Amino acid sequence: MKHKLLIFFLVGFLIYLIDIGLNSYDEKEIYISDQEIISLVTAWKSQVGRNPNDDEITRIINNLVEEEILYREALLLGLEKEDRIIKRRLAQKISFLKQESIPKAPTYNDLSNYYNNNKDKYFIDPKYTFTHYFFSSDNDSNKRSKEAFSNIYLNFEIESDPFFLGKNFVDITKRDIESDFGNNFSNHFDSIELDKWLGPFRSAFGHHIIYVTSYQEGFYPDINKVLKKVEVDFMLYQKDIALEKYLNEIKSEYKIYINPDLQI
Amino acid sequence: MKYFRNLIIIIVSIYVITLGFVFVDVGDTRPLVSLFKKLQSDSALKVVDFSVDKETSSKSKPAPNLNRNPYYGDLHVHTKYSFDAYVFGVTASPDDAYRYAKGEGIKHPLGYEMKLREPLDFYSVTDHGFYMGMIQAYADTTTDISQNDFAEPFHNLNRLENLTVESAGQRSNIFSSVLAGTVTQPYPDWHPKIIKAYLTRNTQNALKSFDYDIHKSAWADIARSANEHNDPGHFTAFIGYEFTTSTNIEGGNLHRNVIFESSKASIRPWTRIDSINPEDLWTWQDKLRDKGIDTISMPHNSNGSNGQMFEMETFYGNAITNDYAEKRMRNEPIVEITQVKGTSETHPLLSPDDEWADFEIMDVRVGSRPPTYSKPSGSYVREAYLNGLTMEFTRQGNPYKFGLIGSSDTHTGGGAFEESNYWSKVGLLDGDPENRGSVPLAEENIERLDEYMRAFNQPISTVNLDQGEYANTGFTQWGASGLAAVWAEENTRESIFNAFRRKETFATTGSRIAVRFFAGYDLSSINLNSDSVISEAYEKGVTMGSDLLQDNDKIPEFIVWAQKDKNGAPLQRVQIIKGWIDVNSGRPKEKVFDVVCSDGLEPDPITNRCPDNGAKVNINDCSITKNVGSSELKTTWKDPEFVNVDKSFYYVRVLENPTCRWSTWDAIKAGYKPREDLHETIQERAWSSPIWYIPDESDVDVIPLGGTVSLRDLN
Repeated sequence: MKHKLLIFFLVGFLIYLIDIGLNSYDEKEIYISDQEIISLVTAWKSQVGRNPNDDEITRIINNLVEEEILYREALLLGLEKEDRIIKRRLAQKISFLKQESIPKAPTYNDLSNYYNNNKDKYFIDPKYTFTHYFFSSDNDSNKRSKEAFSNIYLNFEIESDPFFLGKNFVDITKRDIESDFGNNFSNHFDSIELDKWLGPFRSAFGHHIIYVTSYQEGFYPDINKVLKKVEVDFMLYQKDIALEKYLNEIKSEYKIYINPDLQI
Repeated sequence: MKYFRNLIIIIVSIYVITLGFVFVDVGDTRPLVSLFKKLQSDSALKVVDFSVDKETSSKSKPAPNLNRNPYYGDLHVHTKYSFDAYVFGVTASPDDAYRYAKGEGIKHPLGYEMKLREPLDFYSVTDHGFYMGMIQAYADTTTDISQNDFAEPFHNLNRLENLTVESAGQRSNIFSSVLAGTVTQPYPDWHPKIIKAYLTRNTQNALKSFDYDIHKSAWADIARSANEHNDPGHFTAFIGYEFTTSTNIEGGNLHRNVIFESSKASIRPWTRIDSINPEDLWTWQDKLRDKGIDTISMPHNSNGSNGQMFEMETFYGNAITNDYAEKRMRNEPIVEITQVKGTSETHPLLSPDDEWADFEIMDVRVGSRPPTYSKPSGSYVREAYLNGLTMEFTRQGNPYKFGLIGSSDTHTGGGAFEESNYWSKVGLLDGDPENRGSVPLAEENIERLDEYMRAFNQPISTVNLDQGEYANTGFTQWGASGLAAVWAEENTRESIFNAFRRKETFATTGSRIAVRFFAGYDLSSINLNSDSVISEAYEKGVTMGSDLLQDNDKIPEFIVWAQKDKNGAPLQRVQIIKGWIDVNSGRPKEKVFDVVCSDGLEPDPITNRCPDNGAKVNINDCSITKNVGSSELKTTWKDPEFVNVDKSFYYVRVLENPTCRWSTWDAIKAGYKPREDLHETIQERAWSSPIWYIPDESDVDVIPLGGTVSLRDLN
């Protein structure tokens, strides 16, 4: 009876030894796939602008081998644990992985759907043509502009100041208006009436009474005119949603604990 | 044996005869050498069209404005392709840099976001031409070139895990010592590469540490990126690079940025390896121009040139001549007066009567380790204008008749233009307040800094002040500056490049101040309150960058009109700075006139100074006095001391009310008081290009004591 137990343990120990031997033998083997080498060579080529020569290819491969060896030795020592850079890198990797699992090149249909759902990105801004009276904030602009406005349809001469960037603005966008006048000035153009004196509106430099003579509606360009840009945007978008979808799925499986009393 | 002796005699004779031929001199030329030269082709003169295929913009181009619009830009930007930027941890590409200019956020090497408050109108990525793209190749351990000993310190330098503040010491060391040693190793004389380098006039190819393919592909990527981002009517991108040269022994900074007018450029940048003499750069530019490729070069950091940027002699110490002056002005019509590494308008020692001369002074030679003083005379713009007049006076021509721009010289792809949002320029080295010396060092960082500074060959690593130990990195003399501005009809390469050529440009310290400047003999007839001021001024006068010719005994009149930055502080005053040669004494003179003051105040006619407008800065929170200062200032001005035979120049300086300097913002944000040995506040400013007054005839022939005798005359 005692012997049987001993034999049992001995056999068990033997199996254990064989297992260690086999496994450690496995750990000392390094397989490098063609794919891996080809991808490194491609990256190298795009960086340097020519194909690597034989010496350089040897070095690329040697580097890879040495890196793999050092990596395995580091794993044996448990160096990967609690290393923020490694965590970040792994997080990045899975992000890329999830982002890159895009099936195929987009069809025209995909692009046109994307374009229709994100039309605003391609919107050609409206353009305004206007003239204005300017009252400098260095010279009581609030009062003077109000007085001028109340008299504007009478035949009085309006005593305004010249504006640094000129009197008449032709076909300019709201972004240009913002850059020339500052202070959210372009908001006044949201609901503009044509051929009518409006104001006074405050800018970064004083007050203005404006008269818009023409307004060119913004428009959505024909998709074929912006197809290249749509394609680039579509691919980026695909990456973003792939990751977002994955995160949303997986988040629910985690419980997260944060010390509510932490003082920072 | 005899046969053997004869052979030796023959070999020696052939050698001696060949040498004799090579050095034989017929009529000041060496025929054999010029024969060899006929075999050479000039690789730097090969022109490539780098234009790219892209959809034509669906946005329509705005109509040109005949009265011209102000456009703001940065013509001095480095990315990862610069040898030093890469060492500083920068991985931003030219594409990233252009995206930044158009208003997108990009990442600083330390991980935070850099973003402009308002997009820029034009931009040029100007990486160092010298060793362009090479450092990246050293860092990539799979390239041939990285296997050399000299490349070892660069291995994997900018892998994500190596981008840390702690790596600053190693990086500084690489910057200050390793780089210098790396580049000076040519192949031995017999090596085929030496012959190839000679035949293609491409000295770089003779260096072991150089790979021409890598170099060309970096340059092609920079050019492609500029062409791709150029968007006529909306955003202008220029192909450009920096010609990073200096004098050999003193290390006087002679750096220039070169920009190309069109989508075409040379196949490689002309660099300091071709020649360290800027005159050779201009020769190359002239030759390119003959091939239809126009370029301009723009000197910068004259403040760190040890007096050598604006000397009164040539690179080799010869007298300036008319030919030199014309050649220089043909190739470098504008100069960068302000940037991160200080402002080069003038120095307190050069302009003792100018109360605003002590402004963002950087008093060391660029990149000198240990820090070495840069002599003010010859290093500043205003004195150069005066010396230019003196040389014109003595009939040597004026090589210093240039216009002004500012730019950033950022090495992170994106410039820091706001005092309150500042990241300096060299990536990991100065990306945080402790390292740039604006807040005291944490205990644990003092030792690290000590190592860092030792590596940087700087003997004293810290300074002990009231609030603790501060880093003595020298970055306290740097600042949030500057911008290039032009008056142009439209935002296109052609229109903006023409403005550079006309010198219708101005410089700012990062603020979007705008300034108009005109001179003429009948400008007082223009009503400043009329809407047609500008069109009338263009008609009746000349604008910044131009000459005003003498008109009998008429006195010139000037119109100046400045507008504040819509997001910045109000204006305090506008000054006209006059420099002239007193024809009676032959002496250069200068004077600063306040010509219009804020808040309706009047300049004192005796002192030519505005009274204090009372604007203050609260140093505890950087708030400024409200409702003081002006949103615009304009006036017509007549020089009260005008003498019609004196050669003169006039340029405008616009000053904002004081605001907090970046170092004060850094300190306040970190809960400290501002460092006591730095300026707490700053007056952001703009400078116009000058207008030169040209009298009819007032030049002299200099006759040396004893006269001039030449041997040829005697023969």
